[in-house]
Amino acid sequence: MKDTPLANCERDFLLKAIEEKKRLDGRQTYDYRKIKITFGTDYGCCFVDLGRTRVMAQVSCELVAPKENRPNEGIMFFNIELSPMASPAFEQGRQSELSVKLNRQLERCLRNSKCIDTESLCVVSGEKVWQIRVDVHMLNHDGNLMDAASIAAITALCHFRRPDVAIQGDEVTVFSPEERDPIPLSIYHMPISVSFSFFQQGTYLLVDPCEREERVMDGLLMIAMNKHREICSIQSSGGIMLLKDQVMRCSKIASVKVSEITELIGKALENDKKARKAGGRCGFAESIPQERITALKMEESPVEMMDVTERANDIVQKAEAPPQTVPSPVVPVPGVGQVGQGLQNTWGLEDDDEEEEEEEENGNRGEEQEGKASKMEKYEKEESRGGDVVEISDSEEEEVVILHPETSDKAPVNTGSRSSSHQKGAAKSKKK
Amino acid sequence: MVTESCFFRTAETHGSVSCVSPLFQSVKCQQQHVSGSPAVPMFSTLKDRVGEVLLPGDEFTCDTDDTISLTEHVKPEKVVCGPGLRRSGDRLVVCKSGVLRHKQPNVFWIDSQQRRYVPAKGETVIGIVTTKSGDVFKVDFGGSEQASLSYLAFEGATKRNRPNVQVGDLVFAQFSIANKDMEPELVCIDSSGRANGLGVFGGGGLLFRVSLGLVRRLLAPHSEVRSDLEQLFPCELVVGMNGRLWVRSSSVQQTLIIANLLQSCDTMTAPQRRELFRRVKQGVL
Amino acid sequence: MAGLELLSDQGYRLDGRKATELRKVQARMGVFAQADGSAYLEQGNTKALAVVYGPHEMRGSRSRTLHDRAVINCQYSMATFSTAERKRRPHGDRKSTEMSLHLKQTFEAAVMTQLYPRSQIDIYVKILQSDGGNYSVCVNAATLAVIDAGIPMRDYVCACTVGFVDETPLADLCYAEESGGVSSLALALLPRGGQIALLQMDARLHQDHLETLIEAAMTACKGVSKVLDEVVRQHLQEVSVLTGE
Repeated sequence: MKDTPLANCERDFLLKAIEEKKRLDGRQTYDYRKIKITFGTDYGCCFVDLGRTRVMAQVSCELVAPKENRPNEGIMFFNIELSPMASPAFEQGRQSELSVKLNRQLERCLRNSKCIDTESLCVVSGEKVWQIRVDVHMLNHDGNLMDAASIAAITALCHFRRPDVAIQGDEVTVFSPEERDPIPLSIYHMPISVSFSFFQQGTYLLVDPCEREERVMDGLLMIAMNKHREICSIQSSGGIMLLKDQVMRCSKIASVKVSEITELIGKALENDKKARKAGGRCGFAESIPQERITALKMEESPVEMMDVTERANDIVQKAEAPPQTVPSPVVPVPGVGQVGQGLQNTWGLEDDDEEEEEEEENGNRGEEQEGKASKMEKYEKEESRGGDVVEISDSEEEEVVILHPETSDKAPVNTGSRSSSHQKGAAKSKKK
Repeated sequence: MVTESCFFRTAETHGSVSCVSPLFQSVKCQQQHVSGSPAVPMFSTLKDRVGEVLLPGDEFTCDTDDTISLTEHVKPEKVVCGPGLRRSGDRLVVCKSGVLRHKQPNVFWIDSQQRRYVPAKGETVIGIVTTKSGDVFKVDFGGSEQASLSYLAFEGATKRNRPNVQVGDLVFAQFSIANKDMEPELVCIDSSGRANGLGVFGGGGLLFRVSLGLVRRLLAPHSEVRSDLEQLFPCELVVGMNGRLWVRSSSVQQTLIIANLLQSCDTMTAPQRRELFRRVKQGVL
Repeated sequence: MAGLELLSDQGYRLDGRKATELRKVQARMGVFAQADGSAYLEQGNTKALAVVYGPHEMRGSRSRTLHDRAVINCQYSMATFSTAERKRRPHGDRKSTEMSLHLKQTFEAAVMTQLYPRSQIDIYVKILQSDGGNYSVCVNAATLAVIDAGIPMRDYVCACTVGFVDETPLADLCYAEESGGVSSLALALLPRGGQIALLQMDARLHQDHLETLIEAAMTACKGVSKVLDEVVRQHLQEVSVLTGE
């Protein structure tokens, strides 16, 4: 089936919006969409939501004979599957250009950077080694598949446990997880890909393009890095002309983003570990009753809902000292009003208004669920935000919600199942 | 500070769902009740369940009795059923999930939150011109196949005087042919040859997609969403029955806000929406 | 592999080159009569043939036609005898498909495709002998072929791979160096504007070294462009002598 064509007016509007440093979903130029990492019931199964882009990664292993030229090394195999489920533009059974590009990039990002100790996967030299297969399935395509795939793949690899083996003479025994605890892979570093899209012959640069932005962009630059600021792969695509300075700038942005994402992955893994230890329910099936997998769900609120009063107080204290000096005079557009409790509002500001709007949406839902407490919380947040916006010129800010599937009894009884899923799992990282 | 106005662009023919004639089929229940027997006519059974959620497979039957009264003449009961209801023999079968709706005097249909559009004659849609070939434009409207739009079907167009339509332009057009056996055909004029709001449009605005349910809510005669929206900014809104909306406002930012608001309306209850709109209004005024 | 010393203490590499020294580049243009443009290029032991057909009417699936510019169609193949181990498939595997894609992308950036709407330009490249830097040799050969075909380009596209060993960038890697676990960077450059048409890097490298590496690659590309320039000039001279002008 053919994809919906892009109308001229959409293209014009998007380009104009980008010129005005505005994005469709209210993000800023260098902002990522919300990243959410969830795990399946099995080890090595991981779902990553990047805004509305959703991918699933599953790691599996089997004992095979090694390659002739590398008898002591395990085999890594990566596959990205663009299923027609994700987008009408994807066709079944054909190796499209996009799929070749993504597959190779993932291979380069994870295999060539040697992030996994393949020698530890050797069981009997020259005879039996573990083959680790990483299958990444695209479930919903809303742009930036590469980043989502790389996050999903590396998280799934970190999460994966292979069965323990014992060698007695010539005999290799593979133990089931009941007999012996399965062993995690040894991972040296975690390369994460960050995509930059270029518009108008490279004049404008956006991080994490969504699907519509990808359609109007001139070209893409993917940089894979780890948190030690080592570049694992760079790949430019689409016929753009890059300048050296642009590449350097992108690599700097990438290093910031990567450290944020790595931290997020770490947290997600930790949460999952705790949940598993506590014997709580986890996995994909668990996400169904919490309405986490329906399209009709609303965007997760970035509003912290745990320990509302405590946090609110905390923020009030911080927010009470608004920045005394504004670096550049802010001229609000006509029609600016006030939101919140009489502090400076951000609606008219150049950059942050959409964010604000989303905030409001989210806040609104939060309020529905949480009543006054969260409302207050929201206002506080807006305040603190208002402060932030003025201070930073290019915000490296990111808000992420990890939901981990632990069931908590702290959830208020009267709220719907959806809200309960947010409350407890919401571990939010906000950094600059 | 902000003038409360909202320009609406819909073709006149388009009032509410009820006039979408081909989708509605009438069912005559030729039932003759025996006087005194507690036969329930279909009309009232349907009426009883208006507003309820129905699922595919739900049935309505005419409780006909075996005996036929010869003395009393019962007027045949007529029910017009719209999308989601099908007649099968003497029963009425629900074939979509959704809420049962009723319109006086005897129209019933199922209101479903479908996303894929199926064309129906007389409906107005927003299409994207994909190719120009000979005398016709091919227009993508989000349906199963592309529709054709003759270049003569514009106001004032003649063989000499062709309309200026480029590939990728948006058109607001009405279906003149839409049935399952033929290629759908669009026109940008009404029966008297006037544009009447139809035609090429779309400079500077944003096109986005919402569910068909929301579109119907927007187009309903006393739409709450619309009246809520009117309170916010002056904006120009084109609503296609195929789930596409086009918005233009004075600035990029306002356009984006409206687009995001409308998209989020899809999944919000009325109080949530009012609250959200109220807050946005507060923020902007 | 680990035992190989890629850069000696005296600053010489495995094949005796200095760090920034390129391999010897030899090229011929117009090697085939049938094609619209063709070139043969040797860079050290890597040898490539490039053939260009077009611009011509769209062939195959017409649906790919672009109404505002030409489509560039690239095919990269490696002769079965090009590597030490005989290759089973000359093209069609993931790596060569990717290489075709990269070539396509490079030339989409360089060729002025907007001059030929609704048409197609075919670029076929074959590696006859592979000794590292396949991508860059292909790009260099294809540039000459495109020039030979008389298709307008913004500039030469020159490509080069660079590696990074002991804090020193090595220009134009050969196979032994490439497989020796060096972090390598392939770069296609339009030398006059300093614009990068394609950038690809493998293996780990600290961010701080990126700039030096790109810098080195750009210098190397400019070196290649000088050689190509000479080849083109010489070829034109020969042609004009033959035609008696």
